[in-house]
This record gives sequence, C-alpha cells and structure tokens, in this order.
Amino acid sequence: MNEFWNKYTETLPREKLDAIEFSYFKTLFSYGKSNSNLYKEKLKGIELEDIKTFDDIKKVPFTYKEELRKWQENVEPFPYGGLLGIDIQEVSSFRQTSGTTGRPVYVPESYESWQWRIESWCHILWMAGFRPWHRVFLPFGYNVYVAFWEAHYAAEKIGCEVVPGGALDTKGRVNKIIELKANALAGTPTYLLNIAQEAVSMGIDPKSLGIERAIGAGEPLPEATLKRIEKTYGCKMYDHIGSTETCGFASMCKEQKGLHIIEPFFLLEMLDRETLSKEVEVGEQGVIVITPLGRRSFPVIRFNTNDVAIKGPDACGCGRTSKKLMEIVGRVDDISKIRGVLFSPKTVEQFIRADFPEIVEYELVVAREDIMDNILLRIEVDPSLSKEAAEQVGKRAGEEHKIKTNLSCKVKVEPPGTLPRYDLKAKRYKDMRGGH
Amino acid sequence: MDEIRNEIMKIEESAEKLKSLAGDNNAIKKNASIILTFIYILKFITPAAD
Repeated sequence: MNEFWNKYTETLPREKLDAIEFSYFKTLFSYGKSNSNLYKEKLKGIELEDIKTFDDIKKVPFTYKEELRKWQENVEPFPYGGLLGIDIQEVSSFRQTSGTTGRPVYVPESYESWQWRIESWCHILWMAGFRPWHRVFLPFGYNVYVAFWEAHYAAEKIGCEVVPGGALDTKGRVNKIIELKANALAGTPTYLLNIAQEAVSMGIDPKSLGIERAIGAGEPLPEATLKRIEKTYGCKMYDHIGSTETCGFASMCKEQKGLHIIEPFFLLEMLDRETLSKEVEVGEQGVIVITPLGRRSFPVIRFNTNDVAIKGPDACGCGRTSKKLMEIVGRVDDISKIRGVLFSPKTVEQFIRADFPEIVEYELVVAREDIMDNILLRIEVDPSLSKEAAEQVGKRAGEEHKIKTNLSCKVKVEPPGTLPRYDLKAKRYKDMRGGH
Repeated sequence: MDEIRNEIMKIEESAEKLKSLAGDNNAIKKNASIILTFIYILKFITPAAD
C-alpha cells in the first residue's frame, strides 16, 4: 500500500496548494457571510471583492474562542446559537468542547461536515501508519467530547477493525486488549501511560500486549513523552493536533519530525506573537491561526488557537509538500512569567518523562504567597520504591527543575493514588495566582 | 485527474436525478443525499490545481 492517503493533494507544489486554499477560503468567506449569524455580523464591511490576493486574507478578523461562547449563550437556535451554518434540522450529531477554559462550546455537525472531518482524520491515521490489518482499540468514554469519535470513524473508513473500548475501567481495557489481540491504540498520552501502568500492576509487561502503533490526541506530546510511550509499549507513537472547533488539522508522518498540516482541508497561518500580523519564518515561534476550509455546519474563519508552535520547513523526507509545525511550544495562556522568568509547563513534562521513569504521575501548582510566586511539584513515584528512594527521586527532580527552568520549586512526594488520573485532557498545571 | 473529475460530475448528475425520481420514498431520497455528501468530499479532495 502506498505511503499516502491522497497522493494527489499531499504532493502538490506549494504554489498550487496556496491557490487551492485561497479559492476555498473565498468560498467559505461567502458561505459564512450568508449562512452564519456570527459572520454576517463579524464580516460587515468586508466584501469578497476585497479579498483579491492571498495577503488580503489578513483583512478578515480573527475568531476567538470567547466569541464562540458569546454567540451561543442565550442565542437561538438552541443550543448552537449564531454559530450554526446550516438549517438546524440538518444537524446530525452534537459535540462540545471540554470546557477547560470556560463554558463549553457546542458544536453542530451535519452528516456532510462530519464526513469531511472524518476524511481529514483518515490522513492523520494513514500518516501514522494505521492500515487495514490493524485492530484498533479505542479506550475512551464515547461521550459528548469529540476526541476519538473521529479516530473511530476514520479508522473504520481506512479499513481497520475498530474495538470500542468505552464503559470499561482501565483494568477492563487491559484485559480487552489482551483478549482481542488489539495491535493499535489511540488515546491521550497520559491515558496510554496509565494503561501501561495498570498493566504493570496486573503483572503484565506492556510490551507483551502486542501494540504496534499508537496515536495521541487531546494533549501536547513532548518528544520525551513520545519516547517514553514507545519504550513502554515497544511501539511507534505518533502525534497530532486539533480541537473540537477546528477539527484535527496536523499530524505526524513516519519521519516523526513535526506535524504536517492536512492540506487543503486547512489553511494554516503562523503569526508573530507580538502583533499577530506577520507570518513567521521557518524555525521561529508563531501563533497558530487555522481555518477549516470545507466545513459548512459550523464555519470557523481564522480561528486563533492560542497555541504557539515552531514553524517547520515544507519539505519532508516522506515526500509530502504540506506546511509543517516542528514543535508545539504550548498555549499562549500556559506560557507565563514566574518571578520574572518565562515558564512553560511543557519543559517540566519533558524532563520528567525523559529522565524520571520512577515518577508515575505529577502535578505543578503555582501560587502566590505574599508577593512571592512559588512552585510546588507534587509527584507520585513507583510504589515499589522505598520511602528514602522516593525522597531521593524528589530531590533530584527539584534540582532538575531548577536547571531546566531557572526556577526553584518545592517538591512533595505524594502517596500512591493521591494525584488525579485522566483519560481525557490532563490538567497537571495549576496556576492559582489569578490575574497575575 | 480530469478524468476523475468528469466521473465525479457524472455521479453527481445521477444522484441528483435519483433524488428527484425518489418522490416520497424516504430511503431512496436519503441514500441519494448520502451519495451527494460523498460527492462534496470527492470534489473537495480533487481540486483543479491550474
């Protein structure tokens, strides 16, 4: 089987992809202006004729998550409000955002939009090496969140056999993977590690499960975490990025060097953090602004994701010509100043996953005491370690934190099972400082 | 790709015709609509690059 899901679009020259995406953008612009109350209002004063060149796209204002919330609260038709781009009777499925940063956004999908989303996700899975001979186990709750519903339908579409792993606890899922000899997984990185930890507690080496490949979703996947999952299961691990509002829009190929934008499904802009007006250069950090170009049930134009990534080169060893994100740095909201030092929680995850296999779970809490910002690193270690050994791990983690972040922290070794476990988005970073 | 695009157009015409012939037959109408959904996807993934 060939390397590409759609060789035609995946290998088009840059200028052709740009031309196609520009044309799709204009179509979406017109569609949104005529069919979505949000964009009827938002795009007043800008006409299609004003968008003559690719650069003119920048005349169109960004869409922010907060706006999506506002246009839904107490606005008819319930529950989608002014975001709906189709007749409400065409809505065939409901999804919602996780609500991590506030009131959830309710997302309408028509049969068409859902199939468009699935087609895009087929690229994600195919790029990650999922093939018809894979029996894919999906260990998630099959609920209102979009996570993994796309993986389910896309895996079916590319010809995999899908095992829905809902309504089971983690132990039940380990048993089901063994019983059915599942050989591929999709899950949050955190939960994939939890499954492995559960297997170990059952006396099972995760490598013996026979998992050949896995794809992460819902959380950042620093390289150290990716390597840890690969080492734990003896599998290949891949990453992708997306959100409920935008769909999954970029994914990792076999080279495992950054994420390819799924073009021409999505228009990517990577803009400088200060002015959000200039496209950054390869190797620089930029804010990801994304437009899903073919989704009509819920048109979203120039969505400012607040995610920061390093722009990658277009060329890749896999032969794809799509734009690339080399590394996801984190969310704009998560990158903050602590005691005057720029701090990203991802740095902590990196060194814990890379250098501390004894730490099975952790949490970072930043709080202000008097005028001082303090960081508390709470860790849980392998329960087989002695108290003294656990304290040593804590001491080393504190030292490493200072080296890697330039910030000292207190470390507290918690008893096993104290810290929360997550099967969707993990919330390991808690900034309690309010409006710092 | 041109040949593929032509075939897609032909299927679209047939599906539209099927839909109009369906009358009050919900099953035929819905299945014709589903074909049109995939026509939308097929058109989207085979854009002319000229």
